[in-house]
Amino acid sequence: MNGGPTSGSRRAVVWWGRLVVMTRKEMIQLFRDLPIVLFLTYSFTLAILISGNGLRSQLHNASLTVYDADHSSASRDLVHRFHQPYFRLLGELSRPDEGLRRMDRGSVMAILEIPPRFHEQLAAGEPTAVQLLVDTTNAPQGLSAAGYAGRIVAQFGQDISATRIGGSSGGAASLPIIASEHRVWYNPDQNEAWFESISGLLRTITIFAILLPATAMAREKERGTVEQLLVSPLTPLQIMLPKVLAMTLVILGATAVALFGVMQPAFGVPIRGSVILLFSLTALFTFTTAGMGLFASTITHNQAQVGLLTLLVVAPMLMLSGITTPMEALPDWVNALMLLSPLRYFIEIAYGILLKGAGLDVLWSQAIAMAALGGAMFGFGTWRFRRQFQ
Amino acid sequence: MSFKRVATVASKEWREMVRDRMFVLLAFLLPVLWMLVFGYGLVLDVEEIPLVVVDRDHSSLSRDYLYRFTTSRYFDFKGSLVGEAEADGWLESGKARAVIVVPEKFEERLVAGQPVAVQTLIDGTFPLRTDITKGYVIAINGAFSADLLSDHVARMQGVSRARAEIFAHPIKLEVRYLYNEEVRSSWSTIPALVMFSLMLAPPLLTALGIVREKESGSIYNIYSSTVGKIEYLAGKLVPYVAVSFVNAVVLWLLATLWFGVPFKGNVGLFLVSALLFVLTSTGIGLLVSIMVSTQIAALIVTMVISILPTILFSGLIVPVSSLSPGAWIQAHFFPGMYFTNIVRGTFLKGVGVDVLWPDVLALALYAVVLRLVGYRLFTKRPRS
Repeated sequence: MNGGPTSGSRRAVVWWGRLVVMTRKEMIQLFRDLPIVLFLTYSFTLAILISGNGLRSQLHNASLTVYDADHSSASRDLVHRFHQPYFRLLGELSRPDEGLRRMDRGSVMAILEIPPRFHEQLAAGEPTAVQLLVDTTNAPQGLSAAGYAGRIVAQFGQDISATRIGGSSGGAASLPIIASEHRVWYNPDQNEAWFESISGLLRTITIFAILLPATAMAREKERGTVEQLLVSPLTPLQIMLPKVLAMTLVILGATAVALFGVMQPAFGVPIRGSVILLFSLTALFTFTTAGMGLFASTITHNQAQVGLLTLLVVAPMLMLSGITTPMEALPDWVNALMLLSPLRYFIEIAYGILLKGAGLDVLWSQAIAMAALGGAMFGFGTWRFRRQFQ
Repeated sequence: MSFKRVATVASKEWREMVRDRMFVLLAFLLPVLWMLVFGYGLVLDVEEIPLVVVDRDHSSLSRDYLYRFTTSRYFDFKGSLVGEAEADGWLESGKARAVIVVPEKFEERLVAGQPVAVQTLIDGTFPLRTDITKGYVIAINGAFSADLLSDHVARMQGVSRARAEIFAHPIKLEVRYLYNEEVRSSWSTIPALVMFSLMLAPPLLTALGIVREKESGSIYNIYSSTVGKIEYLAGKLVPYVAVSFVNAVVLWLLATLWFGVPFKGNVGLFLVSALLFVLTSTGIGLLVSIMVSTQIAALIVTMVISILPTILFSGLIVPVSSLSPGAWIQAHFFPGMYFTNIVRGTFLKGVGVDVLWPDVLALALYAVVLRLVGYRLFTKRPRS
């Protein structure tokens, strides 16, 4: 009982020794499975390269056709203002109903119709209107196309009236209008590869962190090897923690490869904050997410169940935590529900450190929330782990 | 091939599946829960962007101008700052995503008929949000400018206000939204969620079902039995295809009856393509199950090859036409895209086989090719 300091420190050595041995066991088991190693490598290298290169969340190249009933210099001038990157002009239609058929087929997203006498009306100072038909089967993209078109037409109109008024009162410089100037911070060139490759990395980390420890645990239960562990001198914590530690180490390594081996050289993703802070908080995120997985494994009986259960949880996490669609768009109850998603906090942290150069002074609340969530999950998991065998 | 043996394998598989209550429950619950969570939760209209303002002019006109931002539903007004230096902290912590800075002499210059540049600082971490924010700012600035300009023209040229408005705004853009006339974001996401659920759940069910037998070793009973390769594979897949097809019908009912999304097309066409799609996605599961030997690997592999492309390349959120050439080609290798075309086509556009046949054909090809490959790769002899 009262072994004194020496036996106390010996006990600590034994405790830590067991943890190390168990972590090694998990690593060996993980790396023995060739498909896992292959897909882990693919996900943290090639897949990130693809998402950085390929994805554009903004409207790009919306396919547009024109029905121009006027064929004047003014109508041509307007049509030529619809250009890339937002629109891709697919040529002119000879008949108005042809556009609708192409839209049915999905080969065209918007149709611009210019009325006859367009030029004439403009020159006479009469009001005129052009029509835009937009495919809204993808509602946000349709709205966005209409928004860009509205801007283009408004600018065109403003230019026309400016030259006209300019003739009488001395140039566009003397009109009372508000010019919009934008300064975009943190990513001034709006390099989408930065955003998409970082969100790709976050998605991948989440999937692996929740899935691998959960199934590793469920496998022990399914095969009955957990019985061996239970009769060993290991405590429940010493059985569960190594699964998370092994995964955390693997993910930290893979993240380093993705960050320094893919994202920096290929896309020039900046690391404006502290690298050490980034990796410590990545470890915390992995720990928390893995805790969720382990908790799922304690309420299920086999790997198939835990697989479905984690899929049930992971899809909303990926879709609603703020990388697939901005948090501002989501309803309040989703925002409240996502307080339980560690990914939500990690998104602020990862973008904060990488792009904004933020430190703990800004990110502390996210870090604490994540740690609290992880602690709760882990505590609950360990408690359930003990209970389930009684 | 004997149908009796296929039926035997299928009924064995069915019993095994039904015995695991939680598995069956999750298999049926997963798509429904997703549909409910995403149907209500996945809203794509970005509104209420947190905004702070800096007013250096403190004039009545600058207050009028800023009032348009603070009362707009597109912005969520968080407060006024004294100077630009404060903006730093707001943007860095994410408490504000945009800052509007009204310069000195705002009113003075505008009243004198001179242009003013108003600067907006925008958080650029999420390019989509940045872009949308920019659009809102430009729209509000444009509307305010148009009013100023009309006043100016009316004053300068001595014409009526209505006449001046035409002068300032010679062209109107009339927008007509087709297929989804009220532009409800849920109408475009819910049909696509049918694709989402049917792309993710069936491969996992199938892969787990088959690999489970490999891992526990009970597949040796099959190896040593008289059941042929094709009989085993066919029988094994029947329950999973059945469960997934039932899910497809349930999802269709949820979308049309619960969420009230219009279904303008042909139900038969939808059901046939849903069946083809389910055959495709279970085929992916079959292929995965042949490649791997543990359930952990089956989970990881199916998740990686189905969940990420489904979110990214299926047209669920980003339309395929906006993808870069490399990603565009990848999207065409991925069956989700074809089914997205079919669900959106049958639900919202009401188009028929004459338009959708290439997509249906692509799915049919997938269903057949995946099975052929699966048949070729599956061996009744254990690999060493």
